[in-house]
Amino acid sequence: MTSKDLVLESAADRTIRFERDALAFTDQLYAAALRYTKNPEDARDLVQDTYLKAFTSFHQFEEGTNLRAWLYRVLTTTFINTYRKDQRRPQIAQAELEDWQVAEAQSHTSDLGKSAEVEALENLPDSDIKKALQEIPEEFRMVVYLADVEGFSYKEIAEIVGIPAGTVMSRLSRGRKQLREKLAAYAKELGYSVETSKKAVAKAALEKGDKS
Amino acid sequence: MSYIEIQCGDVLSSVIFIIEGELEQLPQRSAIEEHISSCLPCTAEIAHERAMHDLLQETLRRTCNERAPEDLHEALHRQLRAQMAGATEVVTQFSMTEISIEIDEFGNIEHREIQIEQTHIQHFIDQDNDETR
Repeated sequence: MTSKDLVLESAADRTIRFERDALAFTDQLYAAALRYTKNPEDARDLVQDTYLKAFTSFHQFEEGTNLRAWLYRVLTTTFINTYRKDQRRPQIAQAELEDWQVAEAQSHTSDLGKSAEVEALENLPDSDIKKALQEIPEEFRMVVYLADVEGFSYKEIAEIVGIPAGTVMSRLSRGRKQLREKLAAYAKELGYSVETSKKAVAKAALEKGDKS
Repeated sequence: MSYIEIQCGDVLSSVIFIIEGELEQLPQRSAIEEHISSCLPCTAEIAHERAMHDLLQETLRRTCNERAPEDLHEALHRQLRAQMAGATEVVTQFSMTEISIEIDEFGNIEHREIQIEQTHIQHFIDQDNDETR
């Protein structure tokens, strides 16, 4: 075997390994990219760019460590650096780390409020869940998605997003809270429209009864 | 032993740490646990928070499970092949032979040859290769 064969074989092997191990996460990364970019075209581009970058630095990836977390880091960094629509948008203040606990709700929820919240979550259509997630600020959306959908630990999220662990906790807490508030608001609207449509159905039935 | 008095508000503002199982991060951990064990409203609130957290997680997971379009899968494979084909590899080879000859007092000749070889491969992958887009 000449040295040229050796070289060719190693590059091919690496490609095969990448294709087998890394491309297995395409669906997951695409779903995450949809949450990040909020539209299918950008999500597509983001996934392609992510794999382009990941393959370029695949030799730096240590086999045996968490490939999924590594790919999410590439995805998130690529998104932050290239797809963020308004780069100059002010970021959440650094002070959030120190003062966030103060801003949290400090009183107990009523039992009525609790059961209404559970009912809302159980009955909302998927489209409303996605809409609510889209509407919360990007910094919150990312960590909520990484924690609650992907199941990453807050330490892994700190690595993936490149922020301190304490900031992850604060964003997670605020993000979930905002998400729940939005979902509760949608449910209220939906409850209202359900009432209205019930009335409409009853009215229609009545009119039908009149005719026969 | 120092004792910190804990109010319901302190417990409620630490709910995230309780839910995430990271209460040990907080200095007032034992005071919080003690408060919870004797405060019914806080116990109920935490149970509700846990239930909501599980429900929210379940709902999000059920909802956010889109699959990548088939042509994206194909494009990624094409992109990878193109990247590999466009890869430049620089191979640096280094080899040397060390020869030593020793002649002892009886005139015996000892001859040794040591060959040292080293190959270094560097990969350069063309990042701007986006013909597959």
